[in-house]
Amino acid sequence: MLADRLPVLSSLLRERRRSLVLWAIALAAINATYVAFWPAMGAGEEMQALVENMPEGLVQALGYDAIGTPTGYLESTVFGLLAPALLLVFAIGAGARLLAGEEEDGTLELELAHPIARRRVVAERLGTLVVTVVALVAVTTAVVLALVAAVDMDVAASAIVATAAGLLLLVLGFGLVAFGLGALTGRHGVALGVAGGLAVLAYVTDALAALVDWGRWLEAFSPFSWYLGPDPLTTGWHAGSLAALAAISVVAALVALVAFDRRDVGV
Amino acid sequence: MTTDVVIRTHALVKDYGRTRALAGLDLEVRRGEIFGFIGPNGAGKSTTIRVLLDLLRPTAGRAEVLGQDPRAGGAALRARIGYLPGELALKGRQTAGSLLQTLARLRGGAGAKRIRPLAERFGLDLERPIRGLSKGNKQKVGVVQAFMHEPELLILDEPTSGLDPLLQREFLELVLEARARGATVFMSSHVLSEVEDVAARVGIIRQGQMVDVDDVATLRHHAGQLITLTFAEPVGPEAFAALPAVENLSLEGCTLRCLLHGEPDALLKAAARHHVVAWSAENRELEDLFLDYYRVPPEELDSAAEEASAHAR
Repeated sequence: MLADRLPVLSSLLRERRRSLVLWAIALAAINATYVAFWPAMGAGEEMQALVENMPEGLVQALGYDAIGTPTGYLESTVFGLLAPALLLVFAIGAGARLLAGEEEDGTLELELAHPIARRRVVAERLGTLVVTVVALVAVTTAVVLALVAAVDMDVAASAIVATAAGLLLLVLGFGLVAFGLGALTGRHGVALGVAGGLAVLAYVTDALAALVDWGRWLEAFSPFSWYLGPDPLTTGWHAGSLAALAAISVVAALVALVAFDRRDVGV
Repeated sequence: MTTDVVIRTHALVKDYGRTRALAGLDLEVRRGEIFGFIGPNGAGKSTTIRVLLDLLRPTAGRAEVLGQDPRAGGAALRARIGYLPGELALKGRQTAGSLLQTLARLRGGAGAKRIRPLAERFGLDLERPIRGLSKGNKQKVGVVQAFMHEPELLILDEPTSGLDPLLQREFLELVLEARARGATVFMSSHVLSEVEDVAARVGIIRQGQMVDVDDVATLRHHAGQLITLTFAEPVGPEAFAALPAVENLSLEGCTLRCLLHGEPDALLKAAARHHVVAWSAENRELEDLFLDYYRVPPEELDSAAEEASAHAR
């Protein structure tokens, strides 16, 4: 039974299933709404007129220059804004809480006093983060795929899946950065604040890169640019950028496993 | 590894940044005994306990639990321990029963069968969600999880806090049963009265150091007697101030009060030179002894402790 083999993970999932279901419903509803508006908004003439009246810099920063195309619309609404924003809130919040949050409020102490190795506790809690983020990205992706087909948008399903893979790795990366910072410091606020700040910084850097001449150079520093820079909704899979995104998760996870094992808990 | 010492710390030091929580703590708990670990809040009791459970790593010195270093012993060592945290934090939607089942799973199922009988004994409703439980009920959950797998060592940090008097007695009964089956019990408290009925030996910690370790009977002897003598007319302090075994002398009009450690002979002979109209000798509560320890600055305490152990021999 799962509960016997992974007692920490299964207990956490049971405890969080209600909030997870609510998140899934919210993500599905919001992203579905935007895709469903494509025939009226993106493909309509009013949207084009609106974009033409906006300052050019703003249009570029928001990535609205291609909002009249199916891929441009999907990127500007779902994959470039709503899905990453909501999922990052979830992942960073969960990443900070799963270790540092529960350490700070004292609930972790009893678990660690039990016959379970610290690395195992870290691994199962990290696993909980991965499982929940994968589930929410999967729900979002499935809803987008279904609605894209329903409103007859001209975007390849494989390209959507490729973009979703990047989205997953981006969100997981920041969630694990929060988790790793929590493992390192034991401070919920630090984990939440620093990881959240880094995510905002990455977004702003990416938006800025679209505006300035030396933008190409800036993009190298923003995981947001690694995610949408190669335009996966049009061009599909890009192993290099996915690997770069995955590296964030791998490094953060290793830091968490090593750091938490070495320090005092609950100080 | 068989050893008669279940917990041993040697010159244990723990710093939090610049604050020294433990300043060279030496501790020895023997197999099969109930050891009371007494000290005021902030003396280092919980820090010591959390080092024993490998939640904290010592700055210097050594700690040994069941013959092993807590860190090296790891999960296998913790399987042999039952721990009740001093500040038990329990949260969540799940029921008390489901939390206890999860904790049993962390022990590979050990103790799952005893959850229900222990809960019944303490009147804990296993169907209620954790977050709705009162402090006392959470403490019951803590007691159940610490005892359910019948560990050979119980480490209990302020175990009776939050329990009403009736349950405190039930709890002490549980501690005695654990000892009867051969377990060792290490329990902390900031008041002696909570442990003196069950503990054979007591250690007193103050500012991160053990200031005294003794059996409860010897401590009672050290606590001494409060003497009150009333004379027919006022007497001068000179004749009494320098007497052996007499401390805290005070004279108000015709009434003399003092604390007596040891034989009353010299005091009685000095008093007999005057007309004594009333007298009383009252055994002090052990609690007062601890207040003595807490009041005295550490330097004086060292000499006082030496004196006390000299008395004992």
